[in-house]
Amino acid sequence: MFNSIEDTIQQLEKQRYICSKEIATTVYLALKMQKPILVEGPAGVGKTDLGKCIAQALGYELIRLQCYEGLDEAKALYEWEYAKQLLYTQILKDKLSKILEDQATLKDAVNKLSTEEDVFFSEKFLVARPILKAITNKTPSLLLIDEIDKSDSEFEAFLLEVLSDFQVTIPEIGTITAVNKPFVLLTSNNAREMSDALKRRCLHLYIDYPTKELEEQIVKLKVPECGNYLIKEIINTIHEIRKLPLKKDPSISETLDWAKALALLGCEVLNRNIAIDTLNFILKYEKDIELVKKNINTIIVH
Amino acid sequence: MMYDKSFISEEDKAKAVFFEFAEVLKKAGVDISIVEIMDMLHALPFISIAEKEIFKQTLATTLVKDYTDIPIFNQCFEEYFQRKKGNDSLLDVYTSHTNAEDFIFSQEEKSFLESLIDDFLESHPQSFFKKSNEYLTKILIDEIQSSEAGGAIGLSLFNRRSRFASGGADDSTEQELSPQVFEAIMGMLRRRMFERNMGKAIKQREEYLLNKYIYQLKPDEIKEMRELIKRFGQKMKNRISLRKKRVKHGTIDIKRTLRRNLQYGGVPFKIFHRDRKVDRPQLVVMCDISSSVNQYSRFMLLLTYTLQSLFAKVRSFAFISNLVEITDLFREMDPERALNSIFNDTNFTYGWGSNYGNSFNQFIHNYSDALTHKTTVLILGDARNNNQDPGLDSFIKIKERSRNIYWLNPDRKHLWDWSDSIASVYIPHCTEMREVKNFLDLSNFIDTLFIQKK
Repeated sequence: MFNSIEDTIQQLEKQRYICSKEIATTVYLALKMQKPILVEGPAGVGKTDLGKCIAQALGYELIRLQCYEGLDEAKALYEWEYAKQLLYTQILKDKLSKILEDQATLKDAVNKLSTEEDVFFSEKFLVARPILKAITNKTPSLLLIDEIDKSDSEFEAFLLEVLSDFQVTIPEIGTITAVNKPFVLLTSNNAREMSDALKRRCLHLYIDYPTKELEEQIVKLKVPECGNYLIKEIINTIHEIRKLPLKKDPSISETLDWAKALALLGCEVLNRNIAIDTLNFILKYEKDIELVKKNINTIIVH
Repeated sequence: MMYDKSFISEEDKAKAVFFEFAEVLKKAGVDISIVEIMDMLHALPFISIAEKEIFKQTLATTLVKDYTDIPIFNQCFEEYFQRKKGNDSLLDVYTSHTNAEDFIFSQEEKSFLESLIDDFLESHPQSFFKKSNEYLTKILIDEIQSSEAGGAIGLSLFNRRSRFASGGADDSTEQELSPQVFEAIMGMLRRRMFERNMGKAIKQREEYLLNKYIYQLKPDEIKEMRELIKRFGQKMKNRISLRKKRVKHGTIDIKRTLRRNLQYGGVPFKIFHRDRKVDRPQLVVMCDISSSVNQYSRFMLLLTYTLQSLFAKVRSFAFISNLVEITDLFREMDPERALNSIFNDTNFTYGWGSNYGNSFNQFIHNYSDALTHKTTVLILGDARNNNQDPGLDSFIKIKERSRNIYWLNPDRKHLWDWSDSIASVYIPHCTEMREVKNFLDLSNFIDTLFIQKK
């Protein structure tokens, strides 16, 4: 457990994750209040990484659920292991007939059998998928539900029970309540808006592109082979580029890629020619590259 | 009627400030329910309110659930907590704020004063309120005292000696208001002004823009609307996707069921349904952008852009006398740049005004592959053909090859056919021609488009 907001920042830094005060505040509060966090923001600002690093810092087991269109309860929560059930019935055939032997009529036999059916719908035949796993885990865990916006709205509705009460209902068994409440982190790329009901159950965190200082720290930490001087230039350039009306702004992960590439190329200063040649590391649209090239003189001084 | 103020604890007073702040946000159009407010109150004990960044983030993370509302939150936060008490610590703001009001006035008097303040705010032009708070409060008090409106409560208000006033002030009715009363009234005035300006103003502005007649939009208003349209577009998309998903499961998929159940000896333990094809509308949007100076065409393009970002399969075309496909342009650029480059494109020949006939011919000639029996064609334009050939044959061909053809006309209905508009030539061949004069009309139209499809 983090002791304070300051402590949150430091602990995460030990996991090589630099976070702003805003991020730390929300994480700290969510832990204290035992509430899930819904993390939104542009792609590549470290939403998923945040989850991974919190898990590491706290020593929680990370259970990850990647969402996609068509994801249903069977994939996310639990599934009955039909094959195993079938196999057991086959093997236990003799035993079954012994039990049913002394029943006179078919009706009695069915009645007798139904008293035993609990056996076949017990936890032995249950395959736990991520959500059930997180809830039944013996040690505390962090449930990372990634890209929730990709899932269907039915799935979202189904998540509500999990998020508010940390419990799931399996019709054949009953309601299973969490032993250790998992810390839940949901990430979204804003492909669609989440329902109000879901948002209401979460704290909301919007991670935007970082400030210059923060991004500089991140690059220094992750790509130390880039000299401090070059890093400063890269960051200044990136921040200038983000001011242009681009289709897709370069994110942190792209900044890191670029820094790594420039370090490999043995650059010491960032000049226009090198920048133009390597623009495809940070920009993913042809039209964006054109635009930056056009404005290169105002972006880079030498 | 005065109830004893001593029952109100310090904590409640602090809470009152937070409730009020939530109220301001609500008025600004941020969706806040009781759950959010409870969360905020639960969160506050965990943090130190003296640290501004942390305090701000705590409010944001618990209250604001829609990231598009964050700019509004920031604006409200700065105004509410900064302006109130200059450089004093935030802690002071909570405790001092409601104190004065609550000590001096009863609940009844307070609401009475508030209504007077509201009248005062409405009876003066906006520019008047740029004056200092002290000045405004003096005017307010003068107005109340000189008017009859004050009545009995008014008199008792102003004649009361404040509890804080030093003991033996003289009893003449003409006495000056005690500084505490003055201070309290000023506080209330400031708060009312602030609430009106912040919350309501933002909301009203949005509604004003959404309802404004397209022809009358000014250039900077269109810029302002971009964010708004984006947000509305997102909400619309969400609504539509909810509706789509409800009809997902179809009949049993025999092939898949058999194959997957082979592992259970062919016993169909698990039934697989054929996913009913999600009905993604295929749209072809044709947008008249003639009279390029006219704001209307910019707005229309903005709508086209919104449509394209809403649906997966949209092809967009723009025309004046020639037709050009702009789908890729919209896909690659942000709207502002796309719009500029469309107007700078040399493919359009200006001067002759729009030629619907020629454009329809070109469409059939070059782009008829865009049409299938699932396609819905939207035409955005005023049908003013500058007395040229209407190209009705091509238009009918487009109709025959598509599922629906809607014409969204920004002109008011009684102006159709006026001057060189030939709306009635096309009407019999359209599924419907509709008057779309502001953004709300368009949003309603898109909604109905999805209800009709089963």
